[in-house]
Amino acid sequence: MSQEEPMLPDDEDDKRLMALVAEGDDDALRLLVHRHHARLVGYLRGEVGSQATAEELAMEVFIRLHRAASRWRPEAKLSTYLIHIAHNLVLNEWRRRGRKPTTALEFAAEPGDSSQQSARRVAELDEAFQRAIAQLPPEQRTAILLVVQQELPYEDIAEIMGVPVSSVKTWIHRARSRLRELLKDFYGNQ
Amino acid sequence: MDNPHHKTFDQELAASLSRGRFVAVTGFADRVVGAIRTDRRRRVVIRWSSIATAAAACLVAVLTLSAPSEEALNRQTFALVAHDESAQFADLLGASADLSLLSPAVEKSSVAEVLNAPGS
Repeated sequence: MSQEEPMLPDDEDDKRLMALVAEGDDDALRLLVHRHHARLVGYLRGEVGSQATAEELAMEVFIRLHRAASRWRPEAKLSTYLIHIAHNLVLNEWRRRGRKPTTALEFAAEPGDSSQQSARRVAELDEAFQRAIAQLPPEQRTAILLVVQQELPYEDIAEIMGVPVSSVKTWIHRARSRLRELLKDFYGNQ
Repeated sequence: MDNPHHKTFDQELAASLSRGRFVAVTGFADRVVGAIRTDRRRRVVIRWSSIATAAAACLVAVLTLSAPSEEALNRQTFALVAHDESAQFADLLGASADLSLLSPAVEKSSVAEVLNAPGS
């Protein structure tokens, strides 16, 4: 697993590739997966708190995308459509488990980080943020991940979550407040 | 006025989350393509199984609907009786074993006379 940032996909090229995927072109499918999987796994990892589960769900997202390829209409960006499918799978995963995920993300510090104070603080802070985000109510966690991590506009988040924009704004505001409360040891009472 | 603590918090939240924005997985595209090929084959098998099941159901329906009706069986029985086909008659009724027991004592011609007699 590497953390390198892949080139951002081009929407027009995505549409062309989706048309090829609908015709059964596996090379086009491979290219689409290569372009989008890192962002999808990143989002899912934030949601479910596990790398393995995130990869399984991301795989299922692409299987569903492939099944729907012939019916797909390019009304929205493919990346948003993928997050939409991923969000629905996350909801199914929570229902299947019968509980909301409360575990913090797996966290692995880079070897040698401990020798550098600033790097250690970043690692501690990341871990603290991840633990705090895992404790948020599901809709607040999804909203904050989509707006801060995925940098999606409120309108897209509202569409993905199937709620009005006002609800998204409320959840994000509450999520920030709750995170500040949970991280008061780092930031003090603000 | 912006609270500087809030600004720091928001910046660090964004920085922390953005570090997990892209999680590239080596070989993931190949794994997905493999899984999709398997899914494609599974769906083809399911589709052909459904078609085979539907075809089998149609065949059974055709055979059932084309089988002789009760009325046709009655007509056939009367015709056999009329032609004194006692052995076939007995087979038709599933009573060949019983009739074979009686056969030494009963003449075929007498059975035909009884059955063909007016008012029988």
